[in-house]
Amino acid sequence: MNPVARALWNPIVAKEYRTRMRTWRSLFAITLYVVLLGGLGWAVFAAMTGNALGIGSSGSGTNYGQFLFMFLIIFQVALLGFITPALTSGAISSERERQTLDLLFVTPLAPFSIIWGKLLASMSFVVLLLVLSIPLFSLVFLLGGIELDQVAYAFAVSGATALTLGFVGIAFSCLFRRTLPATVAAYGAAFVLLLGSYVYGYLFPTDADPTSTVVPAPPAVTLVSPVIPLVTIATNQSVAGYGIRYSQDAIFKSGGGYCTPINGGTMCSSTGPVNQFAFNTGTTMRSGLFNGWQYWQASIVMQLMICAVALIFSALILPPVRRFHLRRRRLAAPAPA
Amino acid sequence: MIAVQDLTKVYGKRVALDHVSFEVPEREIFGFVGPNGAGKTTTLRILAALLEPTDGKAYIGGADVTKEREKVHTRIGYMPDFFGVYDQLTLGEYLDFYAACYRQPKARRQKIVDDLLALVGMSERKNELVDTLSRGLKQRACLARALVHDPAVLLLDEPASGLDPRARVEMREVLKELQGMGKTIIISSHILPELTELCTMIGIIDHGRMRATGSVRDVIARLTSGRRLRISVLDDKDAAIEVLTPLASVRHVETVNGSIEAEYEGDEKTASDILFALTGAGVRVSSFTPVDGGLEDAFLKATSEDVG
Repeated sequence: MNPVARALWNPIVAKEYRTRMRTWRSLFAITLYVVLLGGLGWAVFAAMTGNALGIGSSGSGTNYGQFLFMFLIIFQVALLGFITPALTSGAISSERERQTLDLLFVTPLAPFSIIWGKLLASMSFVVLLLVLSIPLFSLVFLLGGIELDQVAYAFAVSGATALTLGFVGIAFSCLFRRTLPATVAAYGAAFVLLLGSYVYGYLFPTDADPTSTVVPAPPAVTLVSPVIPLVTIATNQSVAGYGIRYSQDAIFKSGGGYCTPINGGTMCSSTGPVNQFAFNTGTTMRSGLFNGWQYWQASIVMQLMICAVALIFSALILPPVRRFHLRRRRLAAPAPA
Repeated sequence: MIAVQDLTKVYGKRVALDHVSFEVPEREIFGFVGPNGAGKTTTLRILAALLEPTDGKAYIGGADVTKEREKVHTRIGYMPDFFGVYDQLTLGEYLDFYAACYRQPKARRQKIVDDLLALVGMSERKNELVDTLSRGLKQRACLARALVHDPAVLLLDEPASGLDPRARVEMREVLKELQGMGKTIIISSHILPELTELCTMIGIIDHGRMRATGSVRDVIARLTSGRRLRISVLDDKDAAIEVLTPLASVRHVETVNGSIEAEYEGDEKTASDILFALTGAGVRVSSFTPVDGGLEDAFLKATSEDVG
């Protein structure tokens, strides 16, 4: 077996598949996942149907489709945010607690292979959940307004989010000796990555440059959260005002009119400040680190960067005999008796 | 096959191993004896390349444990002082998993598993969940696990701890069989009489220092300086004791299980003189046997004082 195949398929993966699917917990998790996602889909669908039948309703099927899709995909990510840390945060620490980690270390398996095997097994379960949710998402196509590529992008972002949480969970599992603190840390990290970075956009938005003629982008760190990229995918437009602060200076007078930067250009009005949000359509960022990128593309790249950092960190701290030490080593040996 | 040179391990301010040195030639069974916390497990973990020594060197079949870890891992079978079993795996799957980890070809793994189960006498339990096995069976399963890649060296940390007498005997028989198969074995244990029977070499460690090492007979002879005689008499024991006590060569006389045991300084001629003194005084001696001090005595002496 060549090294790549060996890395991708090692005995840990097969063992994990076997043991994971023999417990009732996995069946319960799968059932709960589908029931919760289906339940939410049904509730949103029912609410929209009631709304559509109401007097004076102006909603169209297109909007309903996008609305349902947005709810489903964000709820799916939230569910993955609960499930993935639980899958990975105990992957290594439970081996330590069971006292089987040393037994793996004395085999020719490299620490990287151990991490990779654990991760592949956990992520396979996440992929199974994503696949199981596809029939629920097909409901959206009944209402219209969502194209297949949007679903693919949204699933890619969801998968990247799960992968990030998985890598971070594994890193904490390598760092902590016990599963409980590793799990707490993994959920804390999931909270920060999913919601913290999202909230960051509101707390520390990008200040719009009054002299610039392009729409500023939210801070790059906010793209770690999948929330905004998923909303932009579902609605096919950027989220108005998120992560950007328009100070009074940003709306400036010009030749007796009011001008403001919008979508790559400047909109002026002779009567008053321009409502730039009304024109702020499209899902491409026009400035910043990811200038010209789609929100979802930037989000996936940011998340993959976190994955890489977490993987390198895990591979460095897992081996029993490390090439580097977190604490300074004591080198002096006692003198012979 | 195994060489340990000035091995030192320091944890913070605590010295776990202090310039430990010993060698184990091929096909020997080396008994590693010492009280709890003496440094046995630390030594074995360093030999298994699971722990980095602060100083010193250790080699398995010429491979440096700190620099050639992969070579070391293919040469050793390590059995720690805990079971390390997975739930939801049968015994056969458990061994197959480790055989796969040791990169044994899939086509051969089934035979390896079957052969090992036969070796440890667990063939009929192949489809039982490994975490539901009794302590003794888990211990044997773990020994089988350590053998899946047919290593030349076995590092066994307290393999008989917590086992009932029957399980201990069975474990001992398996280890003898492994020795017959050409394995070099280091075995740490507290159960000294068993080590005397099983081991060809012994090392006594205490407070991180090697107190004595060598063949079992040599170590016992070196540490138990006074030689002992077990004497049975037909009639009055007190009379025999009265004859023995004043003798200059006799250091101590006591009655043990109905026999007289006399500790003396000297050689076989001295023993002959003692027998002559007894018979000369009219004591009717029915048996007169030299007694080895035993590993237990050697261990107690080695760990109670600085032997150097």
